[in-house]
Amino acid sequence: MSKSLMQSPLHHFDLAKQAVKPDGRHGVWAGELPLAGYIALRGDSATPAFVEAASSALGVPLPVTPCTLAQSGAVKVAWISPDEWLVVCPREKLGATIAALERALEGIRSQVVDNSGGYTQVLLTGANASDVLAHCTVYDIAHLDPGKVVGTTFGKSATLLHRQDRGFCLIFRRSFADYLWRFMVRAATPYGFGVALREDASAAERETA
Amino acid sequence: MKLSSHRLKIATARIDYDRPLSISFDGKSFPAFAGDTLASALLASGTRMLARSFKYGRPRGIIGAGPEEPNALVQLEQGPQTVPNLKATQVEVYSGLTARRTTGWPSLGVDAKSLGGRFSRFMPAGFYYKTFKYPAALWPRYEHIIRHAAGYGSAPVENDPDIYDHMHHHVQVLVVGGGASGLVAALTAGQAGLRVLLLDEQNELGGWLLSQPNANIGGKTAPAWLKAAIDELKSLPNVRILTRTSAFALHDMNMIQAAQSLQDNLPLAHRSTDQPRQRLHRIRADRVILASGAIERPLVYGNNDLPGIFTASAMTTYLNRYGVACGHNVLLLTSNDHVYQGAIDMARAGIKVTLADTRADINATWEQRAAAAGIALYKGYGIAQAHGGRSVHSAQLAKLDARDNRVTGSGPLISCDAIGSSGGLSPTVHLFCHDGGRPHWDEALLAYVAPALGREKAGIYVVGAACGEFGLASSLQQSRGVSNKAVASLGKAEVATALDFGSDEPAVTPARRIFRVPDGKKEGYGAKAFVDYQNDVAVTDIQLAVRENYKSIEHIKRYTALGFGTDQGKLSNVNGFAIAADALGQHISEVGTTTYRPAYSPVTFGTLAGAHEGDTFEPKRYTAMHASHVARGALFEPVGQWLRPWYFPKAREDMHAAVRRECLATRRSVGMMDASTLGKIDIRGKDVREFLNRVYANAWTNLAPGKCRYGLMLDENGMVFDDGVTSCISDNHFVMTTTTGGAARVMTWLEKWHQTEWPDLDVYLTSVTDHWATAAVVGPNSRKVLQKVCSDIDLSSDAFKFMDWRAGTVAGVPARVFRISFSGELAFEVNVDATHGHHVWEALMEAGREFDITPYGTETMHVLRAEKGFIIVGQDTDGSMTPFDLDMGWAVGMKKPYSFIGKRSFKRSDTARSDRKQLVGLLTDDPAEVLREGAQIIEQADFKPPAKMLGHVTSSYHSPELGRSIAMAVVRDGIARKSPDGQKAGRDIVYAWAGGRAVRAKIVPYVFVDPKGERQNV
Repeated sequence: MSKSLMQSPLHHFDLAKQAVKPDGRHGVWAGELPLAGYIALRGDSATPAFVEAASSALGVPLPVTPCTLAQSGAVKVAWISPDEWLVVCPREKLGATIAALERALEGIRSQVVDNSGGYTQVLLTGANASDVLAHCTVYDIAHLDPGKVVGTTFGKSATLLHRQDRGFCLIFRRSFADYLWRFMVRAATPYGFGVALREDASAAERETA
Repeated sequence: MKLSSHRLKIATARIDYDRPLSISFDGKSFPAFAGDTLASALLASGTRMLARSFKYGRPRGIIGAGPEEPNALVQLEQGPQTVPNLKATQVEVYSGLTARRTTGWPSLGVDAKSLGGRFSRFMPAGFYYKTFKYPAALWPRYEHIIRHAAGYGSAPVENDPDIYDHMHHHVQVLVVGGGASGLVAALTAGQAGLRVLLLDEQNELGGWLLSQPNANIGGKTAPAWLKAAIDELKSLPNVRILTRTSAFALHDMNMIQAAQSLQDNLPLAHRSTDQPRQRLHRIRADRVILASGAIERPLVYGNNDLPGIFTASAMTTYLNRYGVACGHNVLLLTSNDHVYQGAIDMARAGIKVTLADTRADINATWEQRAAAAGIALYKGYGIAQAHGGRSVHSAQLAKLDARDNRVTGSGPLISCDAIGSSGGLSPTVHLFCHDGGRPHWDEALLAYVAPALGREKAGIYVVGAACGEFGLASSLQQSRGVSNKAVASLGKAEVATALDFGSDEPAVTPARRIFRVPDGKKEGYGAKAFVDYQNDVAVTDIQLAVRENYKSIEHIKRYTALGFGTDQGKLSNVNGFAIAADALGQHISEVGTTTYRPAYSPVTFGTLAGAHEGDTFEPKRYTAMHASHVARGALFEPVGQWLRPWYFPKAREDMHAAVRRECLATRRSVGMMDASTLGKIDIRGKDVREFLNRVYANAWTNLAPGKCRYGLMLDENGMVFDDGVTSCISDNHFVMTTTTGGAARVMTWLEKWHQTEWPDLDVYLTSVTDHWATAAVVGPNSRKVLQKVCSDIDLSSDAFKFMDWRAGTVAGVPARVFRISFSGELAFEVNVDATHGHHVWEALMEAGREFDITPYGTETMHVLRAEKGFIIVGQDTDGSMTPFDLDMGWAVGMKKPYSFIGKRSFKRSDTARSDRKQLVGLLTDDPAEVLREGAQIIEQADFKPPAKMLGHVTSSYHSPELGRSIAMAVVRDGIARKSPDGQKAGRDIVYAWAGGRAVRAKIVPYVFVDPKGERQNV
């Protein structure tokens, strides 16, 4: 499957065209991260065999502490509930990751589901990033420590949220993407909003840090 | 520059004398200074009357200096930016401000209602209820005139050009009120290292200290102390300060809402369109410290509503804060010590001051200071009546008995151009009471106060005047002590402070217990004495309400309108309670208070809406193919939050023509529909089949991998609540589809049953609705279309049967293809990862070009399915239909070994009876007649109401395939009525009643097209 056949949920905004080089006039930057693989993993965190099998298949210790995030290289595992995780991996590794999980979990009560078409991620950076989030979500950003991931409100919709690099990563569902992006841009505009160049997503945040 | 008639140069005033500007009120230009309010600017030019009263049309002027103002309601600006009913006392001036009065019809000078005012004895409390009750038919005419006469400002009729937003805060300590005690509270919590938010509704911190610069604290003047305290606060990084921010509601769990004004103080041309005009703060606080202060209430006496009559504290504020003399020859009336410093300030500013104290014994220090300032003092006197027309010009004093509130002798007639009175302070207890707290009456203070630690358990503390600490030094000390308790409750230690709370205030002499100042006449015979200005409630109205047997203060409030309106009785309530208590023969503490509800002061709709308007009003959910539909001219309809293509009109086509074209194209060749919005749930585990057996009415034990089955989902009562096709991927892996609108409900339902009732079943459920994009390729040519883009699935009729599914590759991407049909035609539903959705849709459109493939929307889908008698849950069902009512007993597996949800309820007598409303088809005699959906089914065309209602039409369309109308309906005993026996007896004829017309129709089976179901099997 060729990447050119794929469209992100934010495709219609043509963000690449809107993207600007980082400068001092913008308090907030946001950009969509590259399409990734998203895998819903379910199983019982109280069952050591499940936790061990999943951890070894992912190459990341499965986070069993509520609201924590485990990350290794390009693979990210977010705790969703005591029996649910969201695995985010590079799109190229999606098939292999699913296969590894299914192999390791053979015979263990569990579920591995490809949900890659259903999500996207946005990275929010800049000096006022947390102000923007305070407009959009009821979660207390001051308590969002690195390594923590929470599911919370975003306007009248919902998102997963965690700190990434010097900004915030939002993971949300495809069908709500248009609403979330619009709501975020609306909240960010008073602070000076810029669409980050995709490859510059982290450069922007170096600039404003 | 020359100052206007009532403007004084006051060194400590908070206006900027170097920044003059010009404003316009009622078409006239007025000078002002930066820092003025609209009220202070108007008063500075000697403005008196600027309103007419609500009921009697009496001349009214400014009374207060803040949110308590009842009269001076203005309409600010024009056009889309107009704001109605703002209090002039709260409007900060800016260059070019334009405002106008909101009352006085046809003009301020001549008011139609003032004629009524002469007959005011005929307009008592309950006047409207009593007068306009008969005849009832005339009420609309009365109402038209009353509405016109009763209005204040006008709501804008154009779209609001401003933007608004919401912001969430989580703090350890929220301090409401930035006056002296609030500053101490914020400093105490801030120095202890807590996350603190301090709110103040005014344009700068300081509260009453801004009005009283001649007070001193710890050897410093008030302005110097204020500056030191504010500088210290601002140096603390853990303290955030928001001014122009009114905390208007306190909710459960200490969630406080506050409205911040961000740009209202700027000239229109300087306002940024990128920045919000106002912001709603939603604050969750571990501890709340209410330092909301107190509002002085006036005394009640004859003609106390004349323009030029103020509260004494408002006059002090205008003088000291804005450099405005409310009058040059002022009469003050008091029951307490609070007015003295202000009186002295006025006298020192060159104003002639006469002070009548209702008390015979007064504070010696104040008496001496007043005398030294040249104030003429009348001890033991009250005002019997004020005199004037559009402005007060004199007042008749009366000698009062030293103990009882009665007149013992006459006093002098004092000429004056302004009167100020003080009946004591009413603590601002509103927030304390919003979620259930009650104030208590303090007989020594003559006030309803919020006890400082009365809600400590809830984390709410009260400091300063709000809890009855009316002295400056004592309130600062009390605030420090209570704030330290709040700090300690959060595990922090007290931090020593350099602040000194000493003051040179004289000791307090008790106030006189007086609310209504007697005039020596029987009530009702003297001049009208007003309690509530905004609603024109006089003393006599409250007494009449009590005579008419209203005994609860809540009822008295509603009968008289006491305490309603934009000021919410901030000046009037306590006086009203006291006067009601006298009339009831009770103590005021027995009368209690009315209920304090949010909002403390008015909040704009824009602020409440925030960003929830326009294209961010509600989430709109889009499929991966949305752009394709837009490009092909689709009109959309919302289904749940989804936007689904409704129909795809070509040039000059109306809906009827477009749907007819889409229907025929699909039945004759091939059509395509976006089915991505259907709910999809991936279910996996050893016990999936058993789980499905329990949640669906039919059986799943033997469904082989590669096969699909339709199922009805029932609630505990046996009523259909969702339906859909579920497919077997492998023995322990199924994918369920749900209705578009029911997806979340079904997911929750399944999780609930699994988690609470059957945790032993080895299954896991995951929503994959957003992952799969689905294109339904429908019609006799659908196989040919699919064959062009799919080479690795054998699509032949024998290899890939109806209700099978296959995995393969479509247009170069992995796909699951389901041979299922919601139209009765040969059809394939192609499911792909949604990132490929757009690509696959376009590839199928391209492949179908030679067959004139036609995209269709929900309207055509509805017609196609109705032609086949396929139900829509929620349209043909309403939560009271069993599978048997739907004539779908074939979808119920009564022999399954384990029960399923709803099965037991089939045995209930009401569920089991045979004459329930049942789903049938209806055909009209006239094939062109399309019944109205919702039409009532009745037995006879001509009837006398009430007719017996047999059911209603659930779905009704013109069928292009049949060239006639078709309908589905629920009809009592409908299944038997359509049977051969029913036909023989003529029971298959009913009438559908809608819009005043009965249409004859015949009950028939509801499958209209291809009743044998042959087309989907080709």
